[in-house]
Amino acid sequence: MEQLIEQLKSQIIEALNFEDMTPADIDADAPLFGEGLGLDSIDALELIMLLDREYGIKLSDPKSGKAIFQSVRTMAEYIQSNRTK
Amino acid sequence: MRVTHQIEISPTSVVLDGQTIVVEAVGDAMLVELYRRYVCDYPKFFKMDTLSRLGFVAAEILLKETKVDAVILANRSASIKNDNDYLATISEGRYYPSPALFVYTLPNIVTGEIAIRRHVQGETSFYVLDKPDDLDPIIRATMSNDLQSSNLQTVLAGWVECSEPNRFNAKLQIIWNN
Repeated sequence: MEQLIEQLKSQIIEALNFEDMTPADIDADAPLFGEGLGLDSIDALELIMLLDREYGIKLSDPKSGKAIFQSVRTMAEYIQSNRTK
Repeated sequence: MRVTHQIEISPTSVVLDGQTIVVEAVGDAMLVELYRRYVCDYPKFFKMDTLSRLGFVAAEILLKETKVDAVILANRSASIKNDNDYLATISEGRYYPSPALFVYTLPNIVTGEIAIRRHVQGETSFYVLDKPDDLDPIIRATMSNDLQSSNLQTVLAGWVECSEPNRFNAKLQIIWNN
């Protein structure tokens, strides 16, 4: 799980163009939206694309997003249970 | 109308009010260098396309001491560089259209980025024109409009062009309405 979290942090930094940031700067348990990384709605779309592109996960239920994208750790847990590649 | 400040940026040079600003990097990397030197506190810069980065850093350097009422910009190639980047995300058998690139597939986004950062609540407009001189009558007409002139004292206006990676130029001015 920890390896997946670190990989996911790097993928998020690349997908969202956080050029000043390293994986160590991201707290795996911090909120992704609002506080913490302070992501916005366009970033949310990029994360949905990232799950599809890198892990073959298509989110069909919009309501599930709130729980999945709570933090990097909740994203990683969802990926581990649902990845198709 | 009178011009009080002016900045010109090309991939290899920056000239502010006639004085050359020494930069180490060239092209797209130079815009990042300017951001790190003059701005630093606006991470959204890194999400912007090159056209917006160009207009944004030029405006930030120019507007350190001045507040403007309106932003009027123009160029020849609209948002073609970013349009091509976006097209690449849905080409060659892939289909992962990037939302982050999609939001910059309009040239007027750069005026919005500047207005948000600098709290400009007056007119923001972007024109696609053949050459920079074609913007002059538009600026004059806007600033002499009776309906606007009472509130429109200062305008950030000029040319911001980016047609290909590492190929861009900007000339922005602060213009006063007296």
